[in-house]
Amino acid sequence: MTHETGQKPKLHHAAKLYARECQDGRLSRREFMTRATALGVAAPAAYGLLGLAAPEAKAQTPQMGGTVRIQMDVRAQRDPRTWDWSELANTCRGWLEYLVQYNRDGSITPVLLESWDANDEATEYTLNIRQGVTWNNGDPFTAEDVAHNFERWCDSSVEGNSMASRLGAIMQDGQLRDGAVEVVDDHTLRLHLSNADITILTGLADYPAAVVHPSFDGDPIRNPIGTGPYRPVSYDTGIGAIIERNPDHSWWNAGNGAWLDRIEFIDLGTDPAAWVAAAEGGEIDMLYETTGDFLSIFSAIGMEQTEAITSATLCVRFNQGNPPYDNRNVRRALQLAVDNAQVLELGYNDQGIMAENHHVCPVHPEYAELPPLEVDRERARAMLEEEGHGDTEFELISSDETFHSDTCDNVAAQIRAAGINIRRTILPGATFWGDWLTYPFSATSWAMRPLGVQVLNLAYRSGEAWNESAFSNAEFDDLLEQANGIVDADERRELMARLQEIMQEEGVSIIPYWRSLFRHARADIHGAEMHPTFEIHYQNYWMS
Amino acid sequence: MVSFLLRRIGIMLVTALCLTFIVFYLTNLPAKLDTLAKTQAGSRISDAEVASWLDRNGYSQPMLVRYGEWLGVVPGWTRVEADGTQTGRCNSLTAPTDIAATPERCGLFQGYWGNSTRFRAPVSEVISARLGATGLLMMWVLIVMVPMALIVGVLAGMREGSRTDRALSTFAIASTATPEYVSGVVFIALLASSSIGVSPLLVSWGWIEGPVLFQGNARSALQQITFWNFALPVMTIALFGMGYIARITRASMTEVMTQQYIRTARLKGVSFANIVLRHALRNALIAPFTVIMLQIPWLLNGVVIVEVLFSYPGFGWTLFEAAANNDIELLLAASVVAVLVVLVTQLISDIGYVWLNPRIRIS
Repeated sequence: MTHETGQKPKLHHAAKLYARECQDGRLSRREFMTRATALGVAAPAAYGLLGLAAPEAKAQTPQMGGTVRIQMDVRAQRDPRTWDWSELANTCRGWLEYLVQYNRDGSITPVLLESWDANDEATEYTLNIRQGVTWNNGDPFTAEDVAHNFERWCDSSVEGNSMASRLGAIMQDGQLRDGAVEVVDDHTLRLHLSNADITILTGLADYPAAVVHPSFDGDPIRNPIGTGPYRPVSYDTGIGAIIERNPDHSWWNAGNGAWLDRIEFIDLGTDPAAWVAAAEGGEIDMLYETTGDFLSIFSAIGMEQTEAITSATLCVRFNQGNPPYDNRNVRRALQLAVDNAQVLELGYNDQGIMAENHHVCPVHPEYAELPPLEVDRERARAMLEEEGHGDTEFELISSDETFHSDTCDNVAAQIRAAGINIRRTILPGATFWGDWLTYPFSATSWAMRPLGVQVLNLAYRSGEAWNESAFSNAEFDDLLEQANGIVDADERRELMARLQEIMQEEGVSIIPYWRSLFRHARADIHGAEMHPTFEIHYQNYWMS
Repeated sequence: MVSFLLRRIGIMLVTALCLTFIVFYLTNLPAKLDTLAKTQAGSRISDAEVASWLDRNGYSQPMLVRYGEWLGVVPGWTRVEADGTQTGRCNSLTAPTDIAATPERCGLFQGYWGNSTRFRAPVSEVISARLGATGLLMMWVLIVMVPMALIVGVLAGMREGSRTDRALSTFAIASTATPEYVSGVVFIALLASSSIGVSPLLVSWGWIEGPVLFQGNARSALQQITFWNFALPVMTIALFGMGYIARITRASMTEVMTQQYIRTARLKGVSFANIVLRHALRNALIAPFTVIMLQIPWLLNGVVIVEVLFSYPGFGWTLFEAAANNDIELLLAASVVAVLVVLVTQLISDIGYVWLNPRIRIS
């Protein structure tokens, strides 16, 4: 697999699926546009998928100039590999660039790499470093610099170095394994992995993977040597950060970005009401993230809302180690009684898209489409009676966090509507998380991961530490092992279809929706749509 | 007089010492140190990494020793890393290469306030910059609050029980009974929202150009203070303090107005305005003066709430941030500043009282 320079990201697979659903009348056009654009498809292209011409499809060319003021937490800076908040990365994106970048549509595109290759077993990666890149102190950017970064990332003796947990395949004894990174020539690097790993590139796109200069001393503000087009002017923790275009540096990608003159991050604290006041007074142009009730408030004061689909979700899962959930038909019957669309609407205010009781999201590159789920409450009741559980009282446990308990309340209400006895138990968060792995029937929130196989590995493989559903299926384990060795997403999809099916057939979990993230920005700011991992690529923003 | 001052300063030092020790104890509880390590080295680090971070940064010594280090009576910790470089509490004061020049002790007695872990800067810098911002806020609060309170109090107190008195007293009680976190929010909703309150009306009449009348956020006041971005925070604090001072002034005024010499003046035929301004006022102001001075430390409470509500980075905001992030040395310095403010205002009020009321003498 090779990614060429300047190659446009392919149209997202799921966007095509949505287009077909829309043409079949299963999806409204408005809904289709929301989802397709949330998958990174530009609006004109989305209309194109439906065979329509985009209304006022003006090709807008970016303009130079302007200042954007963004509300965001401005935290004390530190060494990028120890970053634990994406806000820390967002301020530095203008000068600290990455080898590769994770996009809104779930794809990975090269930045400081020109392209990469992997062998068929996914045990050897060749990274072709971009030519003609210089650091802003004038030094040329070479494969040696990248090798130095790999060494830094693999040093697990540094507290909080989260990169080390992503690069286990090239590490040994808490350090970079000798010979794991081979400098072939000035612009080529080869990684020799100890085991097949297809997630290594997504790890390099993650926010702590910013590439730093060999002279880096741990402070990206005082010592802002990087390859990007911007530089910091000031940085006051808790107050704000100011970034301006660097006039003394010629950026490798000049002409394709760095439109804005100046970016100001403003930290107004954690109370969204203060953000509303500042937005109304015209003091901020854009938010880092908008949540909950504030979505409609920011829309009402004239800011534009954008949405990013993520694979974060709430799994209302059964633990198969506990009767009666060791009976597949009981699990299937309870699933059959629940309409996921209703859970999304009433349990989560429609702030996401519907999921299909398996843990692969449309934003994952290897997502495969399956036939829609059916809901049949009468049959659900009948199935339980056949299994002798007609009068059993089930118990659904959740933590007291609002969306957890709302979602579970709705799931329980639907099960009750099928004439099945069910009791709801809500535990305080501190108590709940002590036993989250072993409750017979409870709800767990899962964070976003860029590849579909990642959560399957963590949560559904037999015997895994986080296998909260006690799911164990030889065919599933086998297929997953194979999928873990396939680098190409389209090839992997063939196996994923079956993996997803197994999850549905076995009634592992009620996975009702994928949670979306939202952001508000003024209408004259372009390119600032919400990103599934909260990234703010201000080097690509522009104002009209 | 001199012995009085010395005694007062002595009390101040003892109070500061006790208070800082309490703050030090509370911020150095083991669970708090865990939080500190996690905010500093990464929120998802393991327990072993927490222990190693605490050890490497000098937090593993007994609490009393570290309090002594902070005071500057115990030598600062030092540590030699595996690669031979020396780290230590006092090392940041000199160049890292120049180990010999590093002082043995560095604490309050040496004039070193320590480093803020939240802001990654010397505490003295953070505190002085933020105190400056709060100084401006307090100055405007006093300029608004004191004359308003005195006028309301004097007007209400000159004719006890009159309609003016009833109306002004109701206003004063209402304002002092409304905490800042209520009045601040009401002000924002009423005056700084484009969808509710008066702003949409004014916009539809074409009286104002922007979407809102006042700024509901005072962050821009950091660069430049304008009436529109500073009025709401100032009013929020001033209203709360005003009611109380006005009530005291009224009580003092009514008492003075019943005195024999006022009746004598009236019988002599002096005009009512003259009686109030020339004879009653000075005597009526003794009690409010003390109250105003005592009110200043109280206003520090309001400053915390208002600065956080309006995101104005001053002393109160810093205190909030320091507490929220368990920033030990910044909290200690903030408590020293708070003690200073309380005792200095009390000192001024004692001395001023003597000056205003010749019957009292400090011996």
